[in-house]
Amino acid sequence: MIENFQLGDLFEYKFNITQEVVDKFVSLSNDKNPLHIDDEFAKEKGFKSKVVQGNLQNCFISYFIGMCLPSKHVMILSQTINYKNPVFIDDNIHLTSKIIGIFSSVGVIEFKYKFKNQSDQIISTGKINIKLIT
Amino acid sequence: MNRTEIFDKVQEVFREVLEDEELIIKEEYNASDIDEWDSLTHILLVVETEKKLGVKFLSSEIANWKDIGAMISAIQTKI
Repeated sequence: MIENFQLGDLFEYKFNITQEVVDKFVSLSNDKNPLHIDDEFAKEKGFKSKVVQGNLQNCFISYFIGMCLPSKHVMILSQTINYKNPVFIDDNIHLTSKIIGIFSSVGVIEFKYKFKNQSDQIISTGKINIKLIT
Repeated sequence: MNRTEIFDKVQEVFREVLEDEELIIKEEYNASDIDEWDSLTHILLVVETEKKLGVKFLSSEIANWKDIGAMISAIQTKI
């Protein structure tokens, strides 16, 4: 299984941040902080409109690891996310991720990743360690 | 790098992975001596040790470690 992964392997995916997607996240997380649901509140805080919950990006990481890798026999061991810029409704965000470490002794693959928006601004960066499960 | 220097590096790894800046390890410690040291944490400890010390282990040798001292001995043979 670990042979399916090579140092430097690159993965790319795009996600549309629609109101429907955000509504589903709000329904699931119950995070209804006014920054995320009230345009006026967000503008008072200096944003152009309500800000999409940053943790929605973790849902896309979950999809990427769970569904897009060369093997389905995987689970996430650890994950970091560092937010750089806000995401707004109707943004198109682009995930790129690269394998930066392979630890055969324990069946672990390390990725670094970044999300960018349609203006090529970095939204977030982080690292993910996954474990190959036998 | 001598055994003491390796020990210090390994302690740094344990502190980082277990998120406890004051953690003191001993060579005779194993997973039963440190509450947060579970099977998944063990995997991360190996990963971070390989990264920090620049070594690669075999799964067979990891399975034979009975304590931190055995881990340090394994590192000593590789650097």
